[in-house]
Amino acid sequence: MQISKYFQERVASLSAAILLLCIVMTIIFPTQFATAENFSQVLLNLSIDTIVAVGMMVLMIAGMFDLSVGSIVAFSGGLAGYLMYYHDVNFILAIAAGISGSVIIGYINGVLIAKAGINPMIQTLAMMGIVRGFALMLSGAGIQNFPYEFIYIGQSKLFGLQAPVWYMIIVVLLFSFLASRTKFFRRYYFIGGNERAARLSGIRVDKMKIWAFVISALLAGIAGILLSSRLGAALSTSGRGMELRVITAVILGGASLSGGYGKITGAFLGALFMALINNMLIIGRVSGYWQEIILGFILIVAVGLDQWLLRRTEK
Amino acid sequence: MLQLKNISKSFPGVKALEDISMQFNAGEVHALCGENGAGKSTLMNIIAGNIKADAGNLLWNNKEVIIEDVATAQELGISIVYQERSLADALTVAENIFPVNQPLNRFGLIDYTQLYLQTQQLLDELQLTNLSPKTKVDKLSPAQKQLVEIAKALAQNPSLLILDEPTASITNQETETLFSIIKQLKQKGVAIIYITHRMAEIKAIADIVSVLKDGCYQGSFVAASTPTEEIVTKMVGRELLEAQYESHRQEHIALEIKNLSGKGFNNISFTLSKGEILGIAGLQGSGRTALALAIFGDNNITAGKLFKGSNNIHLHHPADAVASGIAYIPDERKTQGLFMERSVAENIIATKLNKGFYSHKDTIIISAILKNKLAIRTPSVKQVVQKLSGGNQQKVVLAKWLYTNPDVLIINEPTHGVDVGAKADIYTELKKMTAAGKSILLISSELPELLLLSDRIAVMYNGEMQSILQHSEATEEIITSLASGIKTTLN
Repeated sequence: MQISKYFQERVASLSAAILLLCIVMTIIFPTQFATAENFSQVLLNLSIDTIVAVGMMVLMIAGMFDLSVGSIVAFSGGLAGYLMYYHDVNFILAIAAGISGSVIIGYINGVLIAKAGINPMIQTLAMMGIVRGFALMLSGAGIQNFPYEFIYIGQSKLFGLQAPVWYMIIVVLLFSFLASRTKFFRRYYFIGGNERAARLSGIRVDKMKIWAFVISALLAGIAGILLSSRLGAALSTSGRGMELRVITAVILGGASLSGGYGKITGAFLGALFMALINNMLIIGRVSGYWQEIILGFILIVAVGLDQWLLRRTEK
Repeated sequence: MLQLKNISKSFPGVKALEDISMQFNAGEVHALCGENGAGKSTLMNIIAGNIKADAGNLLWNNKEVIIEDVATAQELGISIVYQERSLADALTVAENIFPVNQPLNRFGLIDYTQLYLQTQQLLDELQLTNLSPKTKVDKLSPAQKQLVEIAKALAQNPSLLILDEPTASITNQETETLFSIIKQLKQKGVAIIYITHRMAEIKAIADIVSVLKDGCYQGSFVAASTPTEEIVTKMVGRELLEAQYESHRQEHIALEIKNLSGKGFNNISFTLSKGEILGIAGLQGSGRTALALAIFGDNNITAGKLFKGSNNIHLHHPADAVASGIAYIPDERKTQGLFMERSVAENIIATKLNKGFYSHKDTIIISAILKNKLAIRTPSVKQVVQKLSGGNQQKVVLAKWLYTNPDVLIINEPTHGVDVGAKADIYTELKKMTAAGKSILLISSELPELLLLSDRIAVMYNGEMQSILQHSEATEEIITSLASGIKTTLN
């Protein structure tokens, strides 16, 4: 009973799984896995997904999700790149434009979902296509040759860790503080738990929903800038498939599709877990095809286990 | 036909049924009554295969049966018409009536011509001539939907039919149609279980009446020869409320409504004094709840004015109402009042999330104070609300609004599905509030409650306010006749 209760807290069970995975990997591949370079690489690989996952976690706590984040990542980098390359815009202004454009997209998503009552799945699915189209128009076959300052943002290092890792750490810490300690973010748990009761408790649900999409798009916009800076290129294919990868991480991290559950640290742990599985398969020289198959199974097992534990404690 | 032997069932925190033994016979209308939370619905859900009993046996035509699920119950010939709707709104009447056993053509596809034909036959048989098989269900009135539910149950040719408060949302004329259907079925030898609160209906239609109270069987009586008072006493038990009416009404006006109109209510005017409890009586759909939601900023106001003290206030959202010192406790606590999967503490602070930082520690401390004040029975304020009994859940909703310290509390059906002990606690708390100068708008279907607590009682009918009665002139008869539109004024 006690143990199953403990594992119902996803952050706890996931941490245990990650720890176990690390121990096993260290034993099997001591020279390849347990090295500073490998860890730094794993963290770098998951950093941009995690920044997007934090916004997705906020949405999923409120019982919604956003399929357009992957396209926003490409759009944000594309717009900044386009302005810098074709119009010689100062890199700071270009970044501001990329991020503001993303925020506007999030705002449109939010207004149409909260005020016009369009289902989040349909609205963001449509927006995913629209924004991907704009990203294609902006970056075409890809834009390169960015100013040095822009490259510096994503490619510099501090204490042996790449810059995107530091941005990720800041975003995760900031948002987990906000989500647990501000009334603004606490409201999302109530909206996800029971929207009607939230409104009748005096929470402005519509406004909060718009904010959630704005926050998610803001983080996706930042991720887009980081990605194009790190790659040194703005590609129209950036962030393709990212939305489902991020939703997978967030669900592994303890969110529920119906809302009300989840912690920001869960989003990070979910992404970390997925990155470690990938890393394990690469080190173990398992064919790349297996990665998605295995992740699919893990998702089913994790959610299935949850339901099973829930039913067992209810009886 | 169906015999229950020593049926028991518990839910976390409550004993829903205890050692129930009863018998339902062919060709007999068996009324089942009891207060909210007495266990009627649980018992019916066991018979219909929705939930399983913890202990006891079911005998069907003297043979022991185990009803695994709804399909098993249907195979035996048990049909149930639920209180809640079970219709798919986007489908037609015919498709709803035959959700599984549709007639098929020779290709194994649904034969729609035949489906509509069979439905029409059934509707004719039931004298539901104003319904068409091809109408979409979302175009029907609540009463018509109820009749479709009944037709759906009858399409299975049941030998035992359970009706769970079938007249709650239908008109008198439709009730008569329903009664004549019941009489026909009775002659065909169908056993009928009829759950109701209304004593007059028991007299009109039932052969036998059985009473449940707090999950225990109180006995069965011949409906025709047992006085109504005796049945009511069995239902309520000994613990009749001892509270006394007392008034804390002051001269000062707390809330004034002038010619307010909106969806579901029309041209409503009244005043609410400080320290007053103004009762609002009316049937379901009379506009009581629509009016309450409008005063709370949840429903649109199309005309009229709202004054809080002497200030004209404009409410566009419940948050505006909360900021103006108005609170609303909804009638459906599970779907509108509570966050079932969150803790008692979090539920209580849900009304105070307007700005600033959130402290887990403060949440626990504040909710513990309110928990003690209202005697909420829970091992800890960290307990998930879902695990509490109905009465304690209702206290949590009350607590969350006491925390905002409102000047005006609108409370809708405060004691629905609440046990006697919690009921008394809630009444005491409401009285304390009025003694402190707060005003209460009390909406209730339970007339004894209105008569006990209210300084005045406003009666609504069809979206209009019929009349406002003083405490001294209000009686159950007067309220009932005003609420049902038989009378329009007091005299």
